[in-house]
Amino acid sequence: MDSKGRSLSETVWTRMDRKAGAIIELTMRQLRHRVSTWVVLGVGALLMALLLTFYVDSVRESFEPIDNDGDSVDNDGDGYPMGQERKYGTPDWDSDSYPGASVFIPESDIDWNDADRTVYGNKSWEGSAFFEASWVDDQYSGEWWDSHVDWNLNQEGIPELTDCSDWDLEDILDSIWSEACDMGDDDGDGMNTYYVAGKWRGTGLATVPENYYLLWGYWTEEVYIEPDPPEMYINEDGIDCFNGLILRGQDWEDSRVDCPSEDRLSGSHGFDDDGDCLALDDGNGNDENRNGIACDVQWIASNGVVTWIEADELVDEDPDEQEYIGELDHRTFVIAVGKMAFVILLGLFIPLFLSLGLVRDETENGTLHLLLSKPIHRAEFIVYRLSGYLAIAGSYVIALSLIVGLISSILGPGDQLIRLSDIPVWIGIGAATTLVLAAYGSMFNAMGLISPKYGVYLCIVFGIWEFMMGSFSIVNPNWTVASVSISHWALQMIDAVVMLAWPDTIQWAEMDNAFGMGSGLSVFWQPPVHTLGTASAGIALLNSILVLLMVTAAWVFIAKSVFSRREIM
Amino acid sequence: MTMENQEPPAVLIDQASKWYGQVIGINDLSLAIDGGVTGVLGPNGAGKSTLFKLMMGRIRPSQGSVRLFGVDPWANTSPYRRVGYVSESEKLYEWMTALDFVSTLARLHGMTREEATERSAHVLEFVGLSDVMHKELGKFSKGMRQRVKIAHALVHDPDLIILDEPLHGCDPLARTSIMSVIREMGEQGKTILVSSHILEEIERITEQIVILHNGRLLAIGNLHAIRGLLDKHPHRILIRCEDPRSLANLFVSQDPVFGVRFPKEGQLEIQTNDLSAAHSLLPSIVVNSKQKITSIENPDDNLDSLLSYLIKEGN
Repeated sequence: MDSKGRSLSETVWTRMDRKAGAIIELTMRQLRHRVSTWVVLGVGALLMALLLTFYVDSVRESFEPIDNDGDSVDNDGDGYPMGQERKYGTPDWDSDSYPGASVFIPESDIDWNDADRTVYGNKSWEGSAFFEASWVDDQYSGEWWDSHVDWNLNQEGIPELTDCSDWDLEDILDSIWSEACDMGDDDGDGMNTYYVAGKWRGTGLATVPENYYLLWGYWTEEVYIEPDPPEMYINEDGIDCFNGLILRGQDWEDSRVDCPSEDRLSGSHGFDDDGDCLALDDGNGNDENRNGIACDVQWIASNGVVTWIEADELVDEDPDEQEYIGELDHRTFVIAVGKMAFVILLGLFIPLFLSLGLVRDETENGTLHLLLSKPIHRAEFIVYRLSGYLAIAGSYVIALSLIVGLISSILGPGDQLIRLSDIPVWIGIGAATTLVLAAYGSMFNAMGLISPKYGVYLCIVFGIWEFMMGSFSIVNPNWTVASVSISHWALQMIDAVVMLAWPDTIQWAEMDNAFGMGSGLSVFWQPPVHTLGTASAGIALLNSILVLLMVTAAWVFIAKSVFSRREIM
Repeated sequence: MTMENQEPPAVLIDQASKWYGQVIGINDLSLAIDGGVTGVLGPNGAGKSTLFKLMMGRIRPSQGSVRLFGVDPWANTSPYRRVGYVSESEKLYEWMTALDFVSTLARLHGMTREEATERSAHVLEFVGLSDVMHKELGKFSKGMRQRVKIAHALVHDPDLIILDEPLHGCDPLARTSIMSVIREMGEQGKTILVSSHILEEIERITEQIVILHNGRLLAIGNLHAIRGLLDKHPHRILIRCEDPRSLANLFVSQDPVFGVRFPKEGQLEIQTNDLSAAHSLLPSIVVNSKQKITSIENPDDNLDSLLSYLIKEGN
């Protein structure tokens, strides 16, 4: 009795298994015989090949060093890059002011209301004065850009100027600017007095009229300073991490370590290698991150992973891209391709072409009679058809993800032949896409059954919704509305898998943001959201898988309910 | 036999009706069929296909019940283990070979791949397609396709076989072959239902018939018995010969003949009240006339005249 019972149950199961096998095989063969299958799968493969060539291209070019803080540029065209001008304190907007250029040093002045209104000396002057000159410099240009007085010296070195000896004082003051006029030798000491307004150099006695001013000083000697090559100001302030203090000789020194591979401790790191933070006085003690230490970078870690980095301005702001961008760009590529190309594009288009007519087309073609005259429940039939579709579509995306993954992990940055840690991520991408294919497949199949005529339009509307919600989910996974979409959960799956396979991705994303490396990693990746308050990527992964499976099951159930009640003419 | 009698009949239809909106497909039909070949006769639109679709669980009766081996086929697929169905649909998987097609469908009965292939080769041989079983279905003629459909319905050795217009569109050679296949299956003791709208086809297969008209069961029983009723009513016999007029002379004096006509050149139409009596006269008169007779036809011996007679009787 017992053995009979067992053999009976075995028969039931093996028979079901054989029926499933036959329909799955039939479905796969039917799909293989359709041109649209090959077109959509071919386009998918082409898309991946195109993305890979972009990737290969960017890898082969190596990484162009980026001047993250923009100080290698010579804005004013004086031949000195901004970084060098900053060091010497010359402005980068004035071509006359550059490192080593002569500088005017003001000595003193006579203000409009000073009581003592005469001064004697050999100076560079600026202002208005009656100047009893023993010598004037006809060549004075004084590195200023305007209002220089032209003395018009003759052969003997005597200025030949307008005679204003018989002018009214008011006329003189009103009409003379940027020039001088001759008032003659009024005291008979053999030296002429000139009224001068503007800038000039000379030796003599200056008397400033009431309510006017005169400033004087001297110009320093010009020194030639070799301009630095602009490359010097690229990658000149790398990311510095320290691992506490160590004794070096007599002094305690910070021990510098590689960021971020070894040291992931919270604390104050960073070093202003190019000195531009220290040189800048922002009025707040150069402590934008408000940790009480000027010109540093605050790193905050939790569970052994850095989750927050905030740098003071101009600290570690120009790191060496070769060291970081390679890894950042690689991870961004993997995540972006996984999310955009696999989950959103392939995930939507493959089922649209392959699953919509899984059952509907059999009805329309009139071949359904052949299948339904066999002892198969209609629900069974739907499940087996979907399994056949998934066998083709799922194995296609898994194979494609592994191929793209293998190629990019061989070409990717790192010393090892293959980046082994990439493989789980690509498996995760393949699995997430397969689950999406199952969910969309069962949904589109149900649509085709609910409305054989308009199902395709329903699917397109759903597809647009899914595309939009998927795009929103990439940028802002926390947006609740987006979680009412299938793509959201598949994208969450990828986020969770990335966090499990590459736990330090969150640190890379923070470094990308804090040090302005511009890889876009944090646009495409954020830590998974649906962790049920545990912050565990594993729970987020299980959660997402469960939701996708439940959606699939729900749509299979809907399709079954519709199909079981349908009369087939 | 006693064992079988305890089992529910292969087909049991109890006061079943099926409406498609305002249109009636089947109207209050009751029927029990178990064993032998039964012809389901009726003009197009009589409800033959509706009846078969009800049996195959494709559609649900609006009223009444349908049972195959005692089980409701709409709610349960288990009867199909014992049923082979040849639908009127012409569509097959054109890219498959005949063997592939039959064995793939055989596997849906839970056979292993090997069993399925072996059984399929066997049934394809039975329907006379063993030499083309590796050819693609897309290259098959209409008759061959019908035979492939019959093969797929037979592959699991069913007890009940339902064939919806299996001779439709076939050439004479294919017809003969399919008819002999059906007769042979009947001889094997299976319950077979064959639908057709051509009386002559059914006549060559079976004597047991069901006549449907406008969704109603018009007659059920032995074809000859039914036709016997028809024989007592005015009937025509059309003879093609060299000299219809001299042949007519020989007929007019005979008792069952009440009139002659010459519808066309070389044709003689005899009008009679007793078809079988007239037919028994035929051989001796033909021999006496010493004419060459090209054909003898019974234009009234078709479904239409049978139906119109039965409908008149019903009224």
